[in-house]
Amino acid sequence: MSTETIEVTGHIVDSLLLAKILDTILDAGCDYEIEDVHIGKTSLDPSTARIAVIGDEAKLDQLLDELQVHGANRTHQHDVHLVPVEQDGVLPAGFYSTTNLAADVRVDGTWRPVENPEMDCALIVADGRAYTAPMHKVRAGEQVVVGSDGVRVHAPSHARDTQVFEFMASEVSSEKPKALLVTQVADRMRAARRRGGRVLVVAGPAVVHTGGATDLARLVTEGWVDLLFAGNGFATHDIEADVLGTSLGVSVAEGKPTEGGHANHLRVINEVRRHGSIAAAVEAGYVTGGVMHACVRAGVPFVLGGSVRDDGPLPDVITDTVAAADALRDQLGGMEVALMLASTLHAIAAGNCLPAGVETFCVDINQAVLTKLADRGSHQALGIVTDVGPFVGQLTNELLRDA
Amino acid sequence: MTAGDLRWGRRILMCPPRHFGVLYEINPWMSSEVKVDADRAQSQWGRLVATLQAAGAEVVEMAARPEVPDLVFTANAGLVNGDQFVPSHFRHAERQPETEVNAAWFAAAGWRVDRLPEDLDHEGAGDALPFTPEGGHTVLLSGYSFRSDARAATALADLLGCPVRPIQLVDPRLYHLDLTFCPLDGRRALVAPLGWDGYGRKVVEALVPEPLVLSDEETLAFCANSVVVGTTVVMPAAPLRVARQLEAWGFDVVECPVDEFLKAGGGCRCLTLALDVALSA
Repeated sequence: MSTETIEVTGHIVDSLLLAKILDTILDAGCDYEIEDVHIGKTSLDPSTARIAVIGDEAKLDQLLDELQVHGANRTHQHDVHLVPVEQDGVLPAGFYSTTNLAADVRVDGTWRPVENPEMDCALIVADGRAYTAPMHKVRAGEQVVVGSDGVRVHAPSHARDTQVFEFMASEVSSEKPKALLVTQVADRMRAARRRGGRVLVVAGPAVVHTGGATDLARLVTEGWVDLLFAGNGFATHDIEADVLGTSLGVSVAEGKPTEGGHANHLRVINEVRRHGSIAAAVEAGYVTGGVMHACVRAGVPFVLGGSVRDDGPLPDVITDTVAAADALRDQLGGMEVALMLASTLHAIAAGNCLPAGVETFCVDINQAVLTKLADRGSHQALGIVTDVGPFVGQLTNELLRDA
Repeated sequence: MTAGDLRWGRRILMCPPRHFGVLYEINPWMSSEVKVDADRAQSQWGRLVATLQAAGAEVVEMAARPEVPDLVFTANAGLVNGDQFVPSHFRHAERQPETEVNAAWFAAAGWRVDRLPEDLDHEGAGDALPFTPEGGHTVLLSGYSFRSDARAATALADLLGCPVRPIQLVDPRLYHLDLTFCPLDGRRALVAPLGWDGYGRKVVEALVPEPLVLSDEETLAFCANSVVVGTTVVMPAAPLRVARQLEAWGFDVVECPVDEFLKAGGGCRCLTLALDVALSA
């Protein structure tokens, strides 16, 4: 889906021109949003309307030609304005800040697609290509888009299949039958898999606390996860649960605190640090199960991003947060589904890096986390309010049922 | 409101058909295989002048020029508004040289010449006619699609200081508004819905309280391309039904055949331009 903005001025109300333009848009199978309308006070005063026309690219071009006959012209007819970066990691003032929606930029009269849509980035144009770059990555001399001329953003595509759209449209689903949601998430993962798309899982420690790690490990082993993004806490408790049978000192099997358990995670971190890496600890037989073990064994890449309150941390944790986000970015190609499991900071970080086209499912017991994620601009996310452990269990059963 | 209160049409610009001929084809009526009978064209034009004068109009003549044969259709010269003149911008290259001829004539005759933006086409009174409802403000009805741009209506409203309502022309045989619309007075007009889309029909319906709706046949006989001088309606063809209705309203109908000009797609109105139009008054 594309969006083009048109403007029409004159005695467009009395001449029914506005009505005709709007009818023409709908008749062509496209949609519109009136962005701004100014109606003249007397019959002598002209009126002006600015209308966003939304539709299939092929239809849209033809429609806009037709609308031009009725006096409605595209407002975006300029090339992008490019300004070179003067200092590494510093953007020119007035830089265009991206959304996570697919977009095109107009260079020398030609629209070129933005290669890797990501929100809150700059747009770089080089050798006829256009791509996003986060602020810290820009280098002196690179040409950055300034202002919004020559940039067109595509409305989120709902065309792929309407069922999903209706399903996704509900945003947060605290009052929906969970079994149905699980089935639908599984369907989306299967569909992505059939298209050759990849699946990202972002996991928080609560996955381990609530007993979901074993099932998640099965999903990793069975090839349903292509990339794991988590923090020090998730990996630590996953290993703690495998090695000592506790998660943050609480027995995963019995749900009871264990004697001296409050230090269990520190002892586990300490041992993994002795081995040098999680993979080395797995190889040495120190870690024999759990999600991290499954990733190492199945060769599924993981990115562990650190935070300021981490214990240890595990040797694999990237403590430079900017480097952690870059490591995640580097592996997001081809991602079509993202499962955010009881994670707040890492889910938001991943959401920031994902293009809007990625179907994102956020599972959390706390509705506020899901709302927060949507408020940060990841509107493509469907929030599922439920206990994450049972959810992962049901999803695993659903996906592995046929296996 | 009585017949004959039309406030314009008493002073008319015309151009003799000294160089008139169908030399190119820019509308469905034109065929360069058809020969114009120059003598017959001259005598028909002369009779139209005499008829208009007899009805009480003053006819002002502009000189014919060999390089612009369609100059004879003065309705397309531009739009007059008091002492202001906006010359037409023609869509077809064949007629584009007329713009400067017209601008020069009006400037020399004392008009202030205001120009449309370069990129907009509008063919003057051929595509825009005023209607002043009783007790209301004058509205310029403007046709678009074949010869004029819809956006020109906006530019004209700015230049002329009067509301301009663009309506879409949809029948290529009725390529100018003046083949579909002829204001008679503050309540009535000859209207030819055949030439308009549904929106245009509604716009005219809302504007004209008592329209005389022409049948398709009457429309294609160019009935709407008539000249109104007070209570006289000078028509290229006056079918009985139309003439009777006009007479019932108090008009005198004069049939004035101009079939030599119909070969180029023009009727009585096309051969005239009212010089006494005041739109923003």
